[in-house]
Amino acid sequence: MIGLFIATLTQALTLIPLALGINLSYTILRATDMTIDGSFVLGAGVFAQLVSLGVSPYLAFLAAMLAGALAGAFTAFLQHKGKVDALLAGILSSFILYSVNMAIMGRPNINLLNSPSLFSTAFAQNNLMGWSAVCALVLILALGFYALLQSRLGLYLRAFGDNPKLLARQGLNIETLRTLGFGLNNLLAAASGAITAQIIGYADINMGVGMTLVGIGAIILGQHLILPCIKTHYLRTRTELLSAFIGIAIYFFILNGLLRFNINPIYLKLMLGVLLALFLRAATQKAKLS
Amino acid sequence: MITTLLTFKDIHLNYPALERPILQKINYSVQAGDFVIVLGANGSGKSSLLKLIDGRYQPSQGQILLEHKNIHRLSAKNRAHHIHTLTQSAQDNLFLNLTLFENYQLLARNPKERKKKGLEAEIIFLKEYLKDFNPNLCDKLSMLVGRLSGGEQQALALALAVLDPPAILLLDEHTSALDPKTAAHLMALTANIIAQKKITALLTTHNTQHALNYGTRILALREGEILDCIEGKAKKELDHASLLERCY
Ligand SMILES: Nc1ncnc2c1ncn2[C@@H]1O[C@H](COP(=O)(O)OP(=O)(O)OP(=O)(O)O)[C@@H](O)[C@H]1O
Ligand SMILES: [Mg+2]
Repeated sequence: MIGLFIATLTQALTLIPLALGINLSYTILRATDMTIDGSFVLGAGVFAQLVSLGVSPYLAFLAAMLAGALAGAFTAFLQHKGKVDALLAGILSSFILYSVNMAIMGRPNINLLNSPSLFSTAFAQNNLMGWSAVCALVLILALGFYALLQSRLGLYLRAFGDNPKLLARQGLNIETLRTLGFGLNNLLAAASGAITAQIIGYADINMGVGMTLVGIGAIILGQHLILPCIKTHYLRTRTELLSAFIGIAIYFFILNGLLRFNINPIYLKLMLGVLLALFLRAATQKAKLS
Repeated sequence: MITTLLTFKDIHLNYPALERPILQKINYSVQAGDFVIVLGANGSGKSSLLKLIDGRYQPSQGQILLEHKNIHRLSAKNRAHHIHTLTQSAQDNLFLNLTLFENYQLLARNPKERKKKGLEAEIIFLKEYLKDFNPNLCDKLSMLVGRLSGGEQQALALALAVLDPPAILLLDEHTSALDPKTAAHLMALTANIIAQKKITALLTTHNTQHALNYGTRILALREGEILDCIEGKAKKELDHASLLERCY
């Protein structure tokens, strides 16, 4: 049982930035941004390739996040100039990113076990130190994100997601907001990809498949569990972040639980898919009532 | 001293697919402090006229001056600072999936001074301020605005619009989706605030009673052209029968 908890926590930890990014796109910008499937791999790929070329992991991590932000900006660009809706623009981006990622990585899989990572000195001491370092990095990202959402810019992003026309009439440049919003959520997804690659020890071209879906399912589940407990909306940013944490943790708890029942891995996605469908259904039913 | 705030100079608004222009030969000026009631049948161009003023539409010909500046040459931000529009549909006026307080933060024109006093003070101020518009709003600051009733939404939209009064307030049938009693109440409130805060306003309506009771001038449109202008003593002495005759 303790093993199950530890597996859950460690896996959930690496995906928290991704969950925050999805919280931004799905809850705040009100768009299903499939770019994330691609930018998650992009983050892992850029990090892995740079590190294996001998670049410092710190620089490589920054480059990975920047690459993610660019991917998101590209999705925003497609929506604006290509007049494509957010869902389609994201699918298009992640489609294109498959080639980009392949070109960056040069091969479908890059092994990182013998390369330095952001956490290698910490893990060299002991596991606890290692995980604390991961925790610290995730916490820094989460706090930065929280501060941003609490700022005026965060309010504008929310308003953009709700009613871009009205916001434009206030004289705000909504294309800038779109670019910032989609850039930021993919920056977070790329950060998750780069952290995951360091923890599992490799970057793989297919590691992002279904990430958007997992993230959305998780945050909906989290909101579902938390929102009824908290009434006031002054705290909604905090509630949202908390529900992202809890949702992603529960998802991995269930995933690892299933693995322990010796489920044939062939059926794993089928079962998780059904589970996500149930989460989504439960959430929409509750939405009708409130 | 009377100053001309808004001048329409030979405004035409065409739409390629339409036979006749949406608006044509509009020459009109609005003085500071005027409260203009715009009347006309469905499709006569009332809403289009207001959309030209707030920049949602561009004229095909002619220009609209705000004091001496072409409104369509102003930056969107600058224009939004001077002009505020409310329409009958809530999603034009408010962010429905945001809370009441967030709407206040976004829509108040000049929140800086109040913000300095801190969140608590701001909340207390807002509750007190909203009381005059609709007492129901006071304890709903953290509620999503989409969950308010239509009447509450329009009262809120008006309250936020005039908190830091714009130079020009445009009201496009802002009471038309409300029940008669609520509509009458909101209309009286609107007229009160416009007079009290000395806002220059243009209001479109199909409610002839409102047109008789409120406003300093009437502008009647027919098929995109100015049909009649009624102001001053003639406006005060206007009765229902002659209004119908002159304006439709
Ligand atoms: N964007 C547009 N595209 C095409 N036609 C338009 C557009 N805007 C307005 N029109 C046309 O211009 C005419 C005037 O419309 P407008 O909405 O200004 O009328 P109105 O006087 O406000 O009518 P109502 O009383 O029904 O609100 C209508 O025939 C309308 O179809
Ligand atoms: Mg109209």
